[in-house]
Amino acid sequence: MKKRFVAAMLAGTMAFSMLAGCGTSGDTSSAGTSENSNSELVFVNYRDIRDLNPHLYAGEMYAQSMLYDTLVSITDDGYEGCLAESWEISEDGKIYTFKIREGVTFSDGEICDANAILANFNAIIANKERHTWLEMMNLLVGVSAPDDYTFVIELSEAYYPMLTELGCIRPFAMISPNCMIDGETKDGVNGYIGTGPYVLTDFVTDEYAVFERNENYWGELPAIEKITVKVIPDNQTRIMALESGEIDLIFGKNMLDADAISQYENSDKFTVALSDPTSTRHIVLNTTNDILSDVTIRQALQHATDRTAISEGIFYGLEQPADTLYSKTVPYCDIGLEPYEYDSDKASEMLEQAGWAMGKDGVRYKDGKKLELELLYNSDSVTEKTISEYLQSEYAKIGISIKIHGEEEQSYRDNMKAGNFDMVFNISWGMPYDPQSSLSGMTAPVYGDYAAQQGLEDKAEIDKAIAEVLTTTDETERQELYTFVLTRLHEDAVYIPLTYECNKALYTSDLEGVHFGTDQYDVPFADMYFE
Amino acid sequence: MKRYVVRRLLLAIPLLLAISFVCFMFINLIPSNPAEVALRVQQMPVITQEAITEMEEMLGLNKPFIVRYFDWLIGCLQGDFGISYVNPTRTVAGEILRCLPATLQLAGASFVIVLVLSIPIGFLCAVYKDSVFDRVMRGIVFVSTAMPPYWVGLLLMWGIGVKLGWLPTNGSGTPQHLILPAFTVALSYISTYIRLIRNNMLENMKQDYVLYANVRGLPQKAILVKHILKNSMHTCIVAMGMSIPQLISGTIVVENVFSWPGLGTLCISSVFNRDYPVIQTYVLLIGVLFVVFNLLFDILQTVSDPRLRKEN
Repeated sequence: MKKRFVAAMLAGTMAFSMLAGCGTSGDTSSAGTSENSNSELVFVNYRDIRDLNPHLYAGEMYAQSMLYDTLVSITDDGYEGCLAESWEISEDGKIYTFKIREGVTFSDGEICDANAILANFNAIIANKERHTWLEMMNLLVGVSAPDDYTFVIELSEAYYPMLTELGCIRPFAMISPNCMIDGETKDGVNGYIGTGPYVLTDFVTDEYAVFERNENYWGELPAIEKITVKVIPDNQTRIMALESGEIDLIFGKNMLDADAISQYENSDKFTVALSDPTSTRHIVLNTTNDILSDVTIRQALQHATDRTAISEGIFYGLEQPADTLYSKTVPYCDIGLEPYEYDSDKASEMLEQAGWAMGKDGVRYKDGKKLELELLYNSDSVTEKTISEYLQSEYAKIGISIKIHGEEEQSYRDNMKAGNFDMVFNISWGMPYDPQSSLSGMTAPVYGDYAAQQGLEDKAEIDKAIAEVLTTTDETERQELYTFVLTRLHEDAVYIPLTYECNKALYTSDLEGVHFGTDQYDVPFADMYFE
Repeated sequence: MKRYVVRRLLLAIPLLLAISFVCFMFINLIPSNPAEVALRVQQMPVITQEAITEMEEMLGLNKPFIVRYFDWLIGCLQGDFGISYVNPTRTVAGEILRCLPATLQLAGASFVIVLVLSIPIGFLCAVYKDSVFDRVMRGIVFVSTAMPPYWVGLLLMWGIGVKLGWLPTNGSGTPQHLILPAFTVALSYISTYIRLIRNNMLENMKQDYVLYANVRGLPQKAILVKHILKNSMHTCIVAMGMSIPQLISGTIVVENVFSWPGLGTLCISSVFNRDYPVIQTYVLLIGVLFVVFNLLFDILQTVSDPRLRKEN
């Protein structure tokens, strides 16, 4: 009986797996290898494209950029017209009048005129609470479409980063009004139809997505006709897939590790590319802490931090050492601040001057109080842990005792927001949100910066300057205000800049035109072509 | 017999309730506000208080814990496991159903490989005990048990996928895609069963009924196959039955390495994205599978083994 039972089980499982095999075989052949055509690119991402509703935040941005357009584009040389051919800003900086490009249609044939754009804005405004992190949503008075090709936005006061915010793919990208549900998008959309250079033709969740060239695209048609995006969550597997020719391009900040980059640096088959800094990895010092409220201690910590060693030892040179909170390549930030040189003797001297004398246990004391600080890091991040351990040993040499403390991501963020830290790791918002949005974030309790800066005597002054910088219409004044804010923060030594993060790409060498856009999450597929 | 089955079925109910309560409680033990987690998961660049309040209402977090538990439990019984944080347009049940076939396919194929390889090898090892074959096999079993599946997976991918180019390195769709992950999952089970079958057979060989069969002059082949192997399969059936939910849950790492779009990949991505409703349902599902398979194979064993029936 048992033998029959085993045989029956065997036959059953075999039949089942054959059936299951039949059920799915063949239907994913569209996600095939990259070797079949010169006009087809196979890209890889670590997760699915998810919900590509451009008015919410849950989808992959590179995919949204392929499907949708915004009113203006942000380029290396400034703003360029996109769905808006041109625009005028009233003298007081409050009214923006856009001339909408004629002859643009969504890929479902719907005309993209001022009325379609108004419908999009109305859908975005209907979900305003979600978007108030963008200052322009708070300043918005109204939007209107006086005629088919004119679109007007009115603000309550001037706001200079307005065009940057409009140029970000989320939430101001335009979706076909036919995809909206009762004129709204906040509860989902029934299609991902835009005016962008590609259309989404097929996708299987967590497996692949296929984008094909939008033959009715209003701008210059991209050379690559078809882009297949495969989902491969594992770092090593992505490299193997590239090696075996199943994919052509790996692109992104966290898609490649340093080992992989150094392995392919001198390869003929594959090319490695690194972008300019996209964001800054730094440590925030809590100025309300008894010890850290003294600026001398904060400055001593700056001098005790060997950024070059971190860059070379931990990132193998992939992330360049950071001298200031924002890289010089960030707008308004090339203001000639003098970096804190690495000099541990100077740091010791400063601690000595501040009254912290070396104790017998190798740690400094002042009035019986031990020079001990806690460094909080995100335990999901291996690099932060490694940097913590390195700094712990480095700071110990000059008599500062560091207790390192890892928390899982959510709890780490909660602690940061609540100001429950002495020192904490953070990363700036990155392009194109630096410096305006990340500075603006310092004025409200959304991240750790607000809590950390509470001990600064000039906090009110800094916040006031940040508020002014966003509303001034005068370029010189704006630069002066930025210089003031950045200089103050630098001298107050609230932030220990560590390294500049950058975007990385590894791709087969016959792929040309790979470069990095102005938005760190954007992959400029439209400029790529095969040799 | 009927009483035994009914009793076991009734006992399973409080166990299932306890599992569901533990699953639900875990999510509520998180110190963070789930509404804030949901917003972060949806990549809200800055989480404002207005957005948190809106999300709390949407997720029903303003109700007391016990009310939420019963709401959730009743929902689960009706097949409604809530919505995914990552993609609010998708239901958790839909996500699980989407991924389940791929995992069953992988687990099924692995199970077949396990059966096809471990039974004959275990049998031969016992019959030719201490021969060269037995020793080599024992060595292989020893080594393969010690190798973690993700490492075996990467080695196979590198050797067979990249260097030889015989099979695709990742993905799904064709039977070729299935071979490497199924073999990787199967490997550690094959080793376990080879040992189990070999040892059971060796123990049975020492039994009196084998001696009696020899005395009766039955052919060796008949003794080995009809008597010893048959009797050795008792424990193996239960162990293999229990390994079905283990196979399903054990595919997690391998699925992720091979980008196999099953429950394991869903679970890992949910863990990384903190998609708590999905993790909660996955844990519940695996817990229920273990209870159900345990029950099923206990009953089956009682049905098939007269000795156990007498004890009851």
